[in-house]
Amino acid sequence: MQILRYILKRLLFVIPQMLGILFISFFLIKLIPGDPAVLMLGPNATADAVAKLRAEMGLDLPVFQQFMIYLGNVLQGDLGMSWQSARPVLSDLMTRFPATLELVTLSLLLAVVIGLGLGIASAMRPRGAVRKAANYYGLLSGAIPDFWLALVFIFVFYTLLGWAPAPLGRYSIMLIPPQTITGSVLVDSLITGRFDVFMSALSHLALPVLTLGLVNAGPILKATQSSMDRALGSDFIAYARMNGLPRRMIRRQALRAALPNIITIISVLYSFTIGAAVLVEIVFGWGGAGQYAVAGVLNSDLNPVLGFVIFSAVLSLIVYLIVDLLYFALDPRTRG
Amino acid sequence: MTYQDKTDTTEAQAVAAPVLELEGITVAYPRYGESDHVALDAVDLKIRRGEIVGLVGETGAGKTLLTRTVMGAIPGGGEHTSGAMRYNGTPFTDLPDDKSPVRPAKDIALIVSNPRRELNPVLTVGQQIVNVIRHHLGLSEKEARARAVDMLRAVAIPDPESRMDAWPHELSGGMAQRVVIAIALSCDPGLVISDDATSALDVTVQLQVLNLMKEMVAGSETAALIITRDIAITAHYCDRVVILYKGEVVEEAPRDAFFDRPHHPYSINLLAAFAHSPALREAWWDVPPLADGTRPACRFADRCARRQPRCVSEAPALRDCGAGRRVRCHYPVEAGT
Repeated sequence: MQILRYILKRLLFVIPQMLGILFISFFLIKLIPGDPAVLMLGPNATADAVAKLRAEMGLDLPVFQQFMIYLGNVLQGDLGMSWQSARPVLSDLMTRFPATLELVTLSLLLAVVIGLGLGIASAMRPRGAVRKAANYYGLLSGAIPDFWLALVFIFVFYTLLGWAPAPLGRYSIMLIPPQTITGSVLVDSLITGRFDVFMSALSHLALPVLTLGLVNAGPILKATQSSMDRALGSDFIAYARMNGLPRRMIRRQALRAALPNIITIISVLYSFTIGAAVLVEIVFGWGGAGQYAVAGVLNSDLNPVLGFVIFSAVLSLIVYLIVDLLYFALDPRTRG
Repeated sequence: MTYQDKTDTTEAQAVAAPVLELEGITVAYPRYGESDHVALDAVDLKIRRGEIVGLVGETGAGKTLLTRTVMGAIPGGGEHTSGAMRYNGTPFTDLPDDKSPVRPAKDIALIVSNPRRELNPVLTVGQQIVNVIRHHLGLSEKEARARAVDMLRAVAIPDPESRMDAWPHELSGGMAQRVVIAIALSCDPGLVISDDATSALDVTVQLQVLNLMKEMVAGSETAALIITRDIAITAHYCDRVVILYKGEVVEEAPRDAFFDRPHHPYSINLLAAFAHSPALREAWWDVPPLADGTRPACRFADRCARRQPRCVSEAPALRDCGAGRRVRCHYPVEAGT
């Protein structure tokens, strides 16, 4: 009951939060120099033609009025058109956002497995070899740029060894695309029984997931290690030890105490990587949402950028709501 | 040789051996560029079956450090540099180690002070007791739970069944203290150590808790070590009194003999602090300071009313003075002085 009220309250706050995000990003984007009308008509357009197009697009109106019109459209589910793709932004994002989500979700799963495993192992044995290795790894993962690692992987596993497929998209271009149901190629190909697409998608995912997973495991490893260290040094763990509880139970209790911090880091990384995966997306020709938004910024194509902002804002708000609910479940003291 | 062999060979002596025997326990904290800080210096202690021993000392005397050393959890980088520990004749060094022949909670149980910080905040009270019972006694979940409820009832927690599902933060300090006592007694340990477990409680609750501990020790084969800053507690509950000062045992005596005629000036100091006579307090507390920079050999010399030049130059040894008494002083207060 209490939790339902909490969720409702949180959802109510989503409205002003979304308005604020939209407002700020709309004006920030308007600050970027560049006129879409000029870019759309090309270098040979006359001033008259440009003025006419500007009037058509509403670009001659005051910025605040433009914002109100945009807001009105968004509320009706219309995110505008992208002049680059000449398609509605909503349908563009509906195909591209799942591609990014699939990539980021799998990458973070890998990062959690590596980061949590190494973090726990190194905290349990502060003088062990795993700790040393983990410390070096944490340092490296912070220092190595993901796009560079991606290029190295492509060079090694595609060019030299030939194990991985060419870094062009989510599955082999020779295959007929599966019917889109969820947007995730893996899930859709499984549902529709297209195992050829499934296997191809898996092999195409391997390198980008490995890249993003290895890079993002660093922060998770560090957060796990430090909060496990703190938990293991706490009074109640010392007490549990002095009660002779076995090692695995101590480890479980310490992990439980460390979990809120780890979840926070994972959630921040998740929201952040949705946008930050763009370099890796470009390297692998992924066709993801980040790539789409960056192309929008570079070409003064505002609607895709704003659409991307809306999509990632909604996703972040969902992620943070889930995190709050997890805190609720994890710590009896927050239940009041 | 495995731990099991050791236990077998000492089985015969175990009957005669003290429950806990500490021999020359020394704990030092390394200091950068200086000699180590010796926080516990060759502490000896014997506790026999069915005996309640009181260990008294002021803050910083090393009381808690001594218990943590026994429990194998020396805080803050201290090192157990020398000394032997035996439980019923079985030597041990690291209690929390899963392979230790002497097990915490099952053999030596500690009652901690400040229990609200020691209980795991995300486990229910019942779960924490059940964990300890199940691990050490190998009972099923159901049997362990029943035993846990019995233990909570034994420490006079009202409505124990529903308290099993309470979270630590929902307990008052007194309740949490009882829970910790219930955990300590839940596996019938041979020795219970109470580390200042009652100092945070109201006087009335303190009385209840101490009476409870005394009853539980009397009703079983358990021995107890009560560590406290409050010497009055030892007068009521202990068979023997040990005084710790700056990491050294300065006096040890049977309770009645101790309170009848304390030998060490520091013991008299402690008792004078509680006395109703201002004259007595002044006589023992007003001590002229030592010259600046003097490092007296006797650790108590700077506060001692009976200080002589010898105390500054020569450290006194802990010597036997008969009738189970020991004192560390060149000029102890003995009969006639």
